[in-house]
Amino acid sequence: MSSEIYDSAVSHVGVTDTMRSLWNQRTLIRLLVVRDVTVRYKRSIFGVAWTLLNPLMTSMVLWFVFSRIFAGRLPNGVQYAPYVLAGILFSTFFTQGITLAAESVAGGAAILTKVYVPPQVFALATALASAVNFSLGLAALTLVSLVTADGIAWTAPLTLVFMLSMIMLITGLGLILSVAYIRFDDMRNIVTVLVMITTYLTPVFYPKSILGTRTRDIVNLNPLTSYIEVFRSVFSHNGVVTWHQWAYMIGTALVAWIVGTRVFARSWPRIVAML
Amino acid sequence: MHEEIISATDVTLTYRVVHGASSSMKESALNFLQRRISTTDFTALNNLSFTLNRGETLAVIGRNGAGKSTLLKVLARVLPPTKGRVIVRGSVAPMIELGAGFNPELTGNENAILYSAILGRDINVVKQRLGEIAEWAGIADHMDLPIRTFSSGMIARLAFAIATDKVPDLLLVDEVLSVGDAEFQEKSSLRMRELMAQDTGVILVTHNLETARKLATRALWLERGSVAAMGDVDMVVDSYLKHYKG
Repeated sequence: MSSEIYDSAVSHVGVTDTMRSLWNQRTLIRLLVVRDVTVRYKRSIFGVAWTLLNPLMTSMVLWFVFSRIFAGRLPNGVQYAPYVLAGILFSTFFTQGITLAAESVAGGAAILTKVYVPPQVFALATALASAVNFSLGLAALTLVSLVTADGIAWTAPLTLVFMLSMIMLITGLGLILSVAYIRFDDMRNIVTVLVMITTYLTPVFYPKSILGTRTRDIVNLNPLTSYIEVFRSVFSHNGVVTWHQWAYMIGTALVAWIVGTRVFARSWPRIVAML
Repeated sequence: MHEEIISATDVTLTYRVVHGASSSMKESALNFLQRRISTTDFTALNNLSFTLNRGETLAVIGRNGAGKSTLLKVLARVLPPTKGRVIVRGSVAPMIELGAGFNPELTGNENAILYSAILGRDINVVKQRLGEIAEWAGIADHMDLPIRTFSSGMIARLAFAIATDKVPDLLLVDEVLSVGDAEFQEKSSLRMRELMAQDTGVILVTHNLETARKLATRALWLERGSVAAMGDVDMVVDSYLKHYKG
């Protein structure tokens, strides 16, 4: 009991401090993830099926519109249906994750202004909840891959590395954005547009081969491109991936995580007074 | 075991008020370019020093805006002091705006577990005690329903029951005794007294001077963030009354 000591003179702004406090709060994080996953669907008739319905419908529309145009432009042996579904699952993971993580800290204000909880807990929990939703989508993708192509690849377990990188990227960016959201109300609008532009600059529903060299360079520079290509390649051999892309993915995830936790820990004392 | 639960030394908390800063980024940028931004520091707490021992109850009194709630937030580790140092030893149960952290869509039981985890409790222990918690709060029939179906009194009862279910080392109370009906007020002040008898340190923020006299041993009178008087509760309350009522 008395082992807990709060000393305001000891500051905790390092990355390892954040890691330690998140580890200590693992029970709370688990409960928050369960809350996030269940609450969103508690009052809808479709329940958790809604998680799948949305990306499936979007993919179907895109498949219907673009399959004839893009099918011939895909790398050899790649089917458009699993290609587009993987893309939509990925972009939902990113877009939903980043939007909810950025809102999560302000959303926890009722708690954070009364009880001490490391605020990073909320951002990580939303990122994890998005990962849970994404894994549900993987079941659908497996089914589509089995029907239209050769099914999933033996490298599929490596999808976990991709998911871990996504969680770090989303949490890191989400923490930086949450500071901006609390400070500026109009930040939301800007972020929505930025997220949209970034996802369009990612080969979500189009193959890279349709792009001109200039645009392709920009798309390759976009970190998200390495994420989606690693995911497609390891999950169902939809496309080849180089070690550059692995390094780019893991590197940007680490940078986002480290910068995000540091920026957040430093800004928090000033930001909490605004809640 | 350490006798001193709280030791606060020269605690100062200043808010930087930025004039011309707006919650709109566009306006802020314009104001910045036109040099219309200036800052003033607002001191909410000014050089506060005090200690609290186990089993002691310190009443914090003062007018609205004197810094009472800010002090609770500093002790709850929510706001870090700008200057000075706070050391709090042991587990803290803050009872500030009871039920504010509840999620309306989750059931009473689910919220009880989540709230306990937020307070840093062992939820496996809490799960065993859910029945007793609900029984004590007098809402056992409702615990499987979403919180949005609860009345505000029921929410306060549940939050109070959870917060006081485990004996904390430090209890931070903000006008909490005035929640609920007469029966519950009776019940909750009885439980408070039980806790106080069990070596828990209590910081009690209140406008009710009679409550302060009844429950507290010492009092701290805050005036614009500074200590106006501190010491024996009757002495401090008397001089407070004398100052304001003549």
